[in-house]
Amino acid sequence: MNNKEIIRYAQASLLKAGAQKTKCNLIKKEKQEFNVAAGEISLFRTTFDTNLYLTALVDDKKGTVTLNNLDMENIDISAKQAVEMAISSKADKANEIAEQQPANEFVKEPTKPDLDKMYDRLVEFMAFAKEKHPKTIIEEINFDFTTSDSYLINSNGVDYFTKKGIYTFVVMFTSKEGKKTSSFNYVAHVTKELDKPFSKCGNIDKLLRESGEQLETKSIPENFVGDMIITPECLDEFVSYITGYLADYPLITKTSVFKDKLGKQIAKECFNLHSKPISDEIATSYYVTGDGYEAKDSTVIENGILKTFLLGLYGAKKTGEKRAVGSGCWEIDKGDKTLEEIIKSTKKGIILNRFSGGSPSDNGDFSGIAKNSYYVENGKIQFPISETMINGNLIEMMMNIEEISKERVNSGYNNYPWIKFNGLAISGK
Amino acid sequence: MIKKDLTKFAKYFTDYTELRVQENRNIHLAMVNGDMMGNSRSVNRGVSARVYKKGSWGFASNANISDDSIIKVIKTASENATYLNSKENLQKGELQKTDAKISKDFSTTKPRKTQKEMIEFLNIVDSHITEKYPELSSRTIVLSNLDMEKQMITSDGASTYSMTPRTILYTLMNIVKDGQPFELYEVYGGLGQFEDVFDDPRNLYPKLNKLYKHLNDKANGVYAKSGLKDCILDADLAGILAHEAIGHTTEGDIVKGGSVAGDFLGEKVADELVTLVDFAHTALGEQCPIPVYADDEGTKAEDAIIIENGVLKKFMHNKVTALHFGHDVTGNARAYGFHDEPLVRMRNTAILPGKSKLQDMIASIEDGYYLIKSSNGQADSTSEFMFGIVMGYEIKNGKLGKAIKDTTISGVAFDMLKTITMISDEMSWSCGGMCGKKQMIPVGMGGPAIKCKVNIGGK
Repeated sequence: MNNKEIIRYAQASLLKAGAQKTKCNLIKKEKQEFNVAAGEISLFRTTFDTNLYLTALVDDKKGTVTLNNLDMENIDISAKQAVEMAISSKADKANEIAEQQPANEFVKEPTKPDLDKMYDRLVEFMAFAKEKHPKTIIEEINFDFTTSDSYLINSNGVDYFTKKGIYTFVVMFTSKEGKKTSSFNYVAHVTKELDKPFSKCGNIDKLLRESGEQLETKSIPENFVGDMIITPECLDEFVSYITGYLADYPLITKTSVFKDKLGKQIAKECFNLHSKPISDEIATSYYVTGDGYEAKDSTVIENGILKTFLLGLYGAKKTGEKRAVGSGCWEIDKGDKTLEEIIKSTKKGIILNRFSGGSPSDNGDFSGIAKNSYYVENGKIQFPISETMINGNLIEMMMNIEEISKERVNSGYNNYPWIKFNGLAISGK
Repeated sequence: MIKKDLTKFAKYFTDYTELRVQENRNIHLAMVNGDMMGNSRSVNRGVSARVYKKGSWGFASNANISDDSIIKVIKTASENATYLNSKENLQKGELQKTDAKISKDFSTTKPRKTQKEMIEFLNIVDSHITEKYPELSSRTIVLSNLDMEKQMITSDGASTYSMTPRTILYTLMNIVKDGQPFELYEVYGGLGQFEDVFDDPRNLYPKLNKLYKHLNDKANGVYAKSGLKDCILDADLAGILAHEAIGHTTEGDIVKGGSVAGDFLGEKVADELVTLVDFAHTALGEQCPIPVYADDEGTKAEDAIIIENGVLKKFMHNKVTALHFGHDVTGNARAYGFHDEPLVRMRNTAILPGKSKLQDMIASIEDGYYLIKSSNGQADSTSEFMFGIVMGYEIKNGKLGKAIKDTTISGVAFDMLKTITMISDEMSWSCGGMCGKKQMIPVGMGGPAIKCKVNIGGK
């Protein structure tokens, strides 16, 4: 059977076993990957992976089985098991499948890797790092090209196919000189084409240079309440905290701090957050949501006002709110000051390059360590810091945005500027 | 069961080769405020081969485990090793030869429970929580089971089989106090399939009561005062300290990548009270949470005594890092899925118990904290660590005071270990440890309570 025949067979098998509604998703992936360990290209691999997700609904009860052995006998056994699991479960009116939409196919190039170019780009990067940043050890690089074929159908007639491929480059590094060791750092870049060296992508060169500087760190001179400039690489963690409060679970359990904030101000007026899954600007684009709808670009926070929650179909049914048309592939609008101007206007603060922190509390309180970061005083970067703790509240922080940079870094999975927040408690050892 | 005759494929090996067939089986049940938000099972199986050629590795995998597919996977892995070797020409030496022949099966011998019976178990626990603790604003119960079944051979003659299950129950309680939300979780369970780990829901009731009490204390708690403080880290935190802050810095690949521990071998890095071991399968006469008898390179797994009486003694290795450092392999090469290559991973990492009594340790602190539960932890190549704290108490004049709200502790592990002055005589293991170094993998972490100085965050 070909892939289309497999997924249709699986749907028929679920219906035959007694499912009243079904959703089937077949994902086939092929990956070619180079690994670097401690400065040496040490492994090359080829992997083929398949997953077939079978969801059965019976009397508003749901069961899901995932399998990767796709012979007909195993599909029949798994379909029967999914139906039995649904029957064993509890009825919940929020268990639904997407309504019928026109069938569609999305094929996005590249769908095949250029292996020689991959190897050349990797060798080129290793040589660059060795020559320009000799104190820095490239601890690890995972560089892969993954193609995926995804079929999603349901018993309401939803029928989507997506084929796409993408290069992902993740590098982790530490600097070492004698007995001095820097904090490790890492950066990822995702791209559809290998048109330029990785040393010229985003802030990769800058981060490698800073790693060498961070062999010598100092404590901040005193504890203070001041500014925090978060870099584009570090911002993703904070965006994930904020968007996490807008997802199914915290809204269903009513533990989200934003549960009553739809249409209200949750950030400074200058802050705009967009989800761009179908935009060509973000390389990790996707076209169909996990629930079985065509994805759309949307604005989540506009001029500081919360425009939409990030609910899936279940969460939307459960809360009575609207389903989100997309999530992820984040972009934040740029501001009107250069990074240099932002640093110049900072009396006392830090530039946060990496954050190692505990998960924020339900009320938004968070604390953690500033890693690979710098102390700023009187408008100038002073020195790399060590053992520095940050305490703050995410909700207050979003209302305390002071500046957003003109410059942005597009990592291929998001597009962020530098953002300066004020009022953070920063303490040393 | 995935058992196959793999020896017939040995004739296709060209260089040093590992051939592994693996099946991971998961059960996931999630009940949120009485609703079943998750009800799923998955089976992920396949074959992989890894081939070594003078320093270059080739790897290939496929979900199809037919004979033809296995032969193709071996050939592709060999071609990948040849391709990389032709490009890199690293000219590395031979890997240490190991040939473990071990079979360990931790499957239950009891009749298997159905999904319906497991859901009924959750229903009973959920009903108990709603009845006993009506003040809760929300409750979540998640049952999670992973059966990891592996079979492998190597060209050096190793032949191993293992079936290692783990079943855990995660319980999260939420409460609102004076308009502020608070939450606290606990994880129960450990080695074994559902039938061996959760035979009677009533066994959980005293533990749930303790969780509810801690949550209530926290809701009435105070913010910690920031600064360097005398603290007692209870077993949960001692375990995460052993794993995150010390263990990772002593993994051979991390040492090779520049970890600060590389400079300290044979040196005093901790108070002499401290002995820290990565146990293979048995600790202090008892089975560990994640028993590993042979690793995924066919090496018989031995305990790695990392710190002995305060002195850094050993790193953890796979075959490549052992070759690099000229050390013996330790049996720490582990892979999560069939499509993953084995990495240097911990197994069951713990600080060994001392001779002090917990009550005496608390009594010895005038102004500090007793820290019980962590949300997460991270550490650095410098051994600087951070742990999120979600449960703890003040210690005032030798007595426990008010509970504290969520905070963070930090320090430099190889400095902090020298501030340890007391270690309690009882130890326990955390049952739900999952380590995320490139691939997620279940790990055991454990320890006694330790008295030390750490930085604590606060307002």
